[in-house]
Amino acid sequence: MNPLSDPAVQQTLTGVFRLAVPEIVLLGTACLAFLVGPFVPGRRLWFGAALAAVAGAMAAAVLDTPPPPELPAAASLLADPAAGFVRWLALASAAVFLLVTWPEVGRGFAAEYYGCLLVAVAGVSLTGRANDLVTLFLALELLSIPTYVLLYLPAQARPNQEAAAKYFLLSVLSSALLLFGFSYLYGLTGTTNLTAIVDTLTKANAQSPSPLALLAAVLVVAALGFRVTAVPFHFYAPDVYEGAPAGVAAQLAFLPKVAGFVALARVLGLLVADPRHQPFPADTQLPLLLWVLAVLTMSVGNVMALLQDNFRRLMAYSSVAHGGYLLIGLVVAGSLPDARGPVEVGGMDAVLVYLAAYGAMTVGAFAVVLYLGTPDRPVEGVDDLAGLGESYPVTAGCLAVFLFSLIGLPLTAGFAGKLLLFVGAFEAPADTPSMTHLYRTLAVIAAVNSAVGAYYYLRVVGVMYLRSPVRPPADSGALPTKLAVLALAAATVVFGVYPDPLVRAARQAAPVPAATQPAVN
Amino acid sequence: MIPTFRILVLLLVAVPLLSAAVVPLFGRAARRAALVLALLQAGLTAAVVLVALPVLNQRGESMMPDTPGRARPIQRFVPEFVPGDPGYRGNPDSSTHRTGWTLLSFGDGPADRPGPRVQFYVGVDGLNVWLVALCSLMMLAAILVSWEAVADRPGPFYGWLFVLQAGAVGAFLSFDLILFYAFFELTLIPSFFLIGRWGNGPGRRDAARKFFLYTLGGSLLTLVGLVGVVLTNPLPDGRVTFALPDLMAAVQQRTGGPGSAGLQAGLFACLVAGFLVKVPVWPLHTWMPAAYREAPIGVTILLSALLAKLGTFGLLRIVLPLMADAAVEYGLYGRAVIGVLAGVGIVYGALCAYAQRDIKMMVAYGSLSHLGFLVLGLLAFNTEGVGGAALHMVNHGVSTGALFALLAFLLDRYRTTDMRAFGGLMGRFPRFAVLAFVVCLASIGLPGLNNFVSEMLMMAGLFDPRAGGGRVPGFAVVAAAGIFLSAWYVLTMLRRVFFGPPAEPPAVAGGPVPDIDGREGVALGGLAAVCLLLGLFPQVVLDPMEADVAVVAAIGDAARDRVEGPAPKGYVPPAPRRFRAPDPPPAGGGGGLPPPPFPEPAD
Repeated sequence: MNPLSDPAVQQTLTGVFRLAVPEIVLLGTACLAFLVGPFVPGRRLWFGAALAAVAGAMAAAVLDTPPPPELPAAASLLADPAAGFVRWLALASAAVFLLVTWPEVGRGFAAEYYGCLLVAVAGVSLTGRANDLVTLFLALELLSIPTYVLLYLPAQARPNQEAAAKYFLLSVLSSALLLFGFSYLYGLTGTTNLTAIVDTLTKANAQSPSPLALLAAVLVVAALGFRVTAVPFHFYAPDVYEGAPAGVAAQLAFLPKVAGFVALARVLGLLVADPRHQPFPADTQLPLLLWVLAVLTMSVGNVMALLQDNFRRLMAYSSVAHGGYLLIGLVVAGSLPDARGPVEVGGMDAVLVYLAAYGAMTVGAFAVVLYLGTPDRPVEGVDDLAGLGESYPVTAGCLAVFLFSLIGLPLTAGFAGKLLLFVGAFEAPADTPSMTHLYRTLAVIAAVNSAVGAYYYLRVVGVMYLRSPVRPPADSGALPTKLAVLALAAATVVFGVYPDPLVRAARQAAPVPAATQPAVN
Repeated sequence: MIPTFRILVLLLVAVPLLSAAVVPLFGRAARRAALVLALLQAGLTAAVVLVALPVLNQRGESMMPDTPGRARPIQRFVPEFVPGDPGYRGNPDSSTHRTGWTLLSFGDGPADRPGPRVQFYVGVDGLNVWLVALCSLMMLAAILVSWEAVADRPGPFYGWLFVLQAGAVGAFLSFDLILFYAFFELTLIPSFFLIGRWGNGPGRRDAARKFFLYTLGGSLLTLVGLVGVVLTNPLPDGRVTFALPDLMAAVQQRTGGPGSAGLQAGLFACLVAGFLVKVPVWPLHTWMPAAYREAPIGVTILLSALLAKLGTFGLLRIVLPLMADAAVEYGLYGRAVIGVLAGVGIVYGALCAYAQRDIKMMVAYGSLSHLGFLVLGLLAFNTEGVGGAALHMVNHGVSTGALFALLAFLLDRYRTTDMRAFGGLMGRFPRFAVLAFVVCLASIGLPGLNNFVSEMLMMAGLFDPRAGGGRVPGFAVVAAAGIFLSAWYVLTMLRRVFFGPPAEPPAVAGGPVPDIDGREGVALGGLAAVCLLLGLFPQVVLDPMEADVAVVAAIGDAARDRVEGPAPKGYVPPAPRRFRAPDPPPAGGGGGLPPPPFPEPAD
């Protein structure tokens, strides 16, 4: 029989579209907005339409659970639990971003703004399910291209243009690097399907590591390093975050990080059914590279943040630092092939939890900036927040919650994430020849970094509560933003006090199967 | 009847948190509301103490002598009245001393073998019951002392005080390592706001920031240490646990197993870092002078009486049982790093105290000196040392808190505590002078007052002859010198302030300056009376903790034997009595809870 008429192949190829119904809802609404928007302006109308699209996408995600593709090695989209987790993270963030960005969306470009936002979110969600180099690349571009537009849309002042141009050029460069890496992967394995690539490389590297495959992986890490603001690919972040409108900066701080980490995990074979077999185990030195990146990223981010007086630049470096903490999860996941005995934290589950926690606290902080600023008086410097505890007690309280969560104090979601990362780093086997004691050192370095990071977050808290208002910021009075701030603060505290549901969901998304070798204890 | 009291234990943590939420709503009347709520908490604590005492005393009486030649039984803490205990369900005898309330699970498992999890595991035992009582007592004192002093935004002030109390109580009650850490860190946020917003001087912001960052830096290392200890000591079946009793058993079963000396030393250094900063132990005390100086006096009371105890309690509850070998090695007996630091702190703190012109700073440095002694007592790691230290935590809390409370009297009237400005107060305020003498003499350690008992016990612990080289008596000499020095600086202060030619700085309010009024009388007189009672009837406090002290001391004996070798010739240790944990009920009867992984070896 012709293998192409195999019903399994048929099912796989035709069933793929049903796997992306929620994303198609988002993209369809966005297309409608782009086409009709110029003729039918109106902020409320398109806000409602976008919210309806997100609700529709959520409904579709709940109601329609199509069967997974029968042949993962032929499918371009996957529907594994990790994809589901990323989709819900993306959809939830879409709802939050819609609320948060309310004050900065002008009537003239509301349709375009919300359309771009929906496309970007669809891109993140598709990154989570992409199982093909082409789909993955397209999903990542689906995220980047609307961002260029978003950076230009709300304001046309000089710093905005600088931010947009800078982000555009560097993002294109990173896409080129990514494609270059992908071309090696395709050339080595003869397929663009990620499942097939990971399988082939795992088998091949088990015999002897292929230098070309490693080169491809390094290129991919470098390219996605831009997205997750890993040092030394972070240097655009402060300028862009400072120049970008606050709502867009919030999206930039969160969406590319999610997409970048998920894409990295997919390409490096960390989000598969059995992450104990990886194409790039520790003896290929790739985990070592990630280790160095993690240490550099968190240390540079934290030290540079110490020097900032501008709140957005501070948040930019803080987001760099948190990218470093997140990289710990990848390093831990890379240690799984050497693991003996039961594994409590597999690395990727910690990354997913931390991403959710990081999203709540960082987007929340930006939302406060957006809520307190008006177009003629934006909140720029840390000093603009002086005395906030008196002038806006509720908003200041929420920002304090976000900052304490960023520090990683207990009873906030940031602590749950950090705890998982610490446990993971400490648990990774210490007696492998290539990574002796490096994992535990990483945990200690992360602890020291958290203490350094506390300094600048605490400075903001101090400015808010311990100083009298110099120039109280004007309240934009945007009710949706305030709602989002309160919801994010509540989520930060609830997942800090009772993180079990979130952690369970993440573990379901990135499971670690039981040990194949018996426990040696 | 017993299950009701499990709810009381839960309320011990919940009431301060709820009070913190409610008090700010009262606005100007917040202080009255705070007093009522603090009294409620005190009543609750009294109820718990009264119910717990018979149970705890009975544990002490049921101890039996060790059988020579037998393997040592596994020692672990046994919390009573654990909320969420699945074994209760109408049958008080089926207590499992465990909880079923999970906050965060690290892995799924069948119901009878759950994965590692962080639980809301709180309970009462002999070591923490008196510290919880101390929390309620000092909270009342702090509120009464702040009555007039805090006029600015009293609602949030008392709210944060309650958060501070909740953190301290929660940390004392916790039997889950991560839960302990969470409460331990929770105290940072209220302290930051209390020092930074309601502090006295222009340096209050820096003091608050320094306190927060210094303590946080130390405790993050402690977190790494906690995680490391948990992960390097799995249960025999390979699971890891965050529950302190199970972890203690796992540690004792694995001693001498895998884990290099370097790793042990590194973990120990990480683990103690946060506690040593919190105590503080010289030279990690540099946050302390600024924080104590700048904090409003009510907060200083809580800082010295409760937060410093969190550090020593962490050493007692976590470091000694979990890293016994390292605690012996680096404590007093082997390389003695921490012992030497504490010893230096005793002398340094005392000399600094003598040099201070400000009474508040004198008390602060004196506290540094006394806490060094307390740490030495803990590290002696024998029945007398640990028991004395556990008692001294309460005594030091009461007496140092009372010393600071005395200063509130002066601050309310003159807004200064500079001893050069005062003289002859004996004739001026006779009632105040009497209370001041009682409290000061208590802090020196006069027989009949509280500190005497605990300091003598700790001193006895420091004379343990089993340590080689005669070094430990050296520590005892240093500790004795500390007591002597404390008499020197306290009596000097008393002479300058209460005797000599009358002198007083300009009063805050016009008109005659009154002696102690009713509110201050209750606060100061109450504390002075507690000092006296604790000195006269220490056995009431010591009896309930006997069983738990024996647990720690037995761990210490075993660790000393491993590190130092057997006792020297000619030394016959007193036959130790061991507390045997009640046998847990058989599996299956307890509603899905796993059988404890370490059945006691049958006799």
